[in-house]
Amino acid sequence: MSKKAIITLVAVAATITLALEPGETELEHNGWFRYTNSATDWQITKPAVSRFTLERGYLRFSHQWAPIFFTKMTVDIFSSDKYPEGATIRLKEAYADLGLPFIKEFNLTAGLQKHYFGLIYSWDYTHPDKSLADDQGVCASADYGLTVNGFLPAGLGELQLGIYNGEGYKYAGKYLNTSPEFLANLRLTPLAGLMVGASVFTNARDQAHYKNDRKGRDNTNTYFLNADTTNINRLAFAPMAKLSFGPVSILGEYIGYNYIRSYTYYQLNRDSANNIVDSTLVEKNKKYQFSGLDLLPVITLPGRKVEIYGRFSLWNRSEQSGDTMAFNKDKSFVRYGAGFNYHFIRREKGKPGLEFQFAWLRTQTKNEETKPADIFMAQIRFEWNSVIKKPEL
Amino acid sequence: MKKLLITLTVLATLLFGVEIMVKGSDTMLNLTQRLAESFSAVQPDVTVSVTGGGSGVGINALINQEVPLANASRAIKSKEISQARANGVNPVEIVIALDGLSVIVNGKNPVNQLTVEQIGAIYRGEITNWNQVGGPNKKIVLYGRQPNSGTFVFFREEVVKGEYSANMRQMNGNAQIVEGVKADEGGIGYVGLGYIKHIEGIKPLAVARKPQEKFISPADEAAVKSGAYPLTRPLYQYTNGKPKGAVREFILFELSEKGQEIIAQEGFVPVTQNYIERNNQILQ
Repeated sequence: MSKKAIITLVAVAATITLALEPGETELEHNGWFRYTNSATDWQITKPAVSRFTLERGYLRFSHQWAPIFFTKMTVDIFSSDKYPEGATIRLKEAYADLGLPFIKEFNLTAGLQKHYFGLIYSWDYTHPDKSLADDQGVCASADYGLTVNGFLPAGLGELQLGIYNGEGYKYAGKYLNTSPEFLANLRLTPLAGLMVGASVFTNARDQAHYKNDRKGRDNTNTYFLNADTTNINRLAFAPMAKLSFGPVSILGEYIGYNYIRSYTYYQLNRDSANNIVDSTLVEKNKKYQFSGLDLLPVITLPGRKVEIYGRFSLWNRSEQSGDTMAFNKDKSFVRYGAGFNYHFIRREKGKPGLEFQFAWLRTQTKNEETKPADIFMAQIRFEWNSVIKKPEL
Repeated sequence: MKKLLITLTVLATLLFGVEIMVKGSDTMLNLTQRLAESFSAVQPDVTVSVTGGGSGVGINALINQEVPLANASRAIKSKEISQARANGVNPVEIVIALDGLSVIVNGKNPVNQLTVEQIGAIYRGEITNWNQVGGPNKKIVLYGRQPNSGTFVFFREEVVKGEYSANMRQMNGNAQIVEGVKADEGGIGYVGLGYIKHIEGIKPLAVARKPQEKFISPADEAAVKSGAYPLTRPLYQYTNGKPKGAVREFILFELSEKGQEIIAQEGFVPVTQNYIERNNQILQ
């Protein structure tokens, strides 16, 4: 590191240290109480799923230490039957954010934070379901990392550059490897009503150990001994656009994603009496390719109480089979639907909000022999916050 | 009751005319209300409803297409322009008046003038007693605005040049700062020019950029106009695209001779030639 960089870092650290004083603390809760009905081909009286849940229960704590420095932590407490308590808690954000003194409207953010990739980053849940890339696990919505993020001069747009663990916010400790993910995201707003941009990330190796680990005997002659199943050479690209004209907007992105699944296993060798005599370590690679399209048209009615929206998504998955890439029609699909939101109280920064959301989505896999699946979501989404004033010293 | 009033207002507007909603800067609240009243007198079919909340709140309401006109005592930020464009909103800026942001103290305080650097040091918490700046042995009590206020941002960038002291009392509006300083002999605050006129019990300080320069009172209109007063700032209004219809008529009224006269009566300073030319280009 150069002398100049060290001096700059020390100066910034000293400035922050001198400026640090207790500031305002903000407590916020954002809950989604949802009813879900999932059925095959309109058979909603014979649903596969019919349940009420607290889908999300974000509790956010943030503290403004100085105008250019704040820290934030978000936990999600939501319904889950993984534990006898009927709920679980998940750490979703935990970061420190520093306004860069020499670049206006740019911040340095360190810790568990937003993953600035495509619509995953800017998805504000106008539609209650996830964005397509989030739903299909292209990457997690949050991850541990270090980012520089901010807004370009004259309202031209925004830029984020980041380095992340790459495994996503659900993974920590032994499931992480030493290979970081690199990300860039650019959004341009050259004209009123037009936003265009693109995100790209690359990760040489995603351990994904927890997700892919296979242990034990798969068949009589294969033994997965703590199989090192990792995704290597991950690369995702997502150009996006948003068009807005008065009360009508359409948000969309194309997603291109591929990686190689690398795994090893022991091939068990047997003698004529079927006794295991030795084993051979086998290393295999398999390519995966994905492409998708996600569109969300929204009409906001006068008064901004009601939003009506549609949804159209396409997802294609191909997997290596020998020397060719075979289209997996069971895991490729077309999804479409519609819904509406009614805002009892419109959410606004620093103020409570309450809305009712209803959405229907139909998913038809590319395997025409399977019937389409319908999902209905009805949810109350509520949000409140409280600012605790700084103590007078 | 509230719903009934809203329904009646909507019905009345539907039957009798147009309503313009204006939201934002608290510094500009009284001024815009006064302009709105006078405008309605000459254009009785147009009702102008003005609310405060701070410059940030007003700009946010414009971005979300909740209001056609936002008041701001600071310029719009890059982030806000970008968010507006993404929502299909094109923020257009008009300067309707000039303000000499006034640093006020209690009327009994013998201190009459301070440099920008001294005021900054006071608000950073580095100077804590009036005797450090030639006043009595009395603890300085800081009164300021909340972060959603354009005045808070302007004062931080132009005077504090660092972080506000944690001891600063964050008040809801200019009027609350005036009341606080009026009741507190050790108090110091900053408010728009319109809030110091005809109010007893407080006094505005003369301010100089540097100790060797001339100390200028914000009451010196010519100095505010020329920019010689160190804390001169424009007061903005933002519309979505070039102003049209009743909104354009209202802005034209604000910039007219009558409107600028009201601005002067309210204690602010009429716009200068360079802003007049800039506004004309937008309004043509």
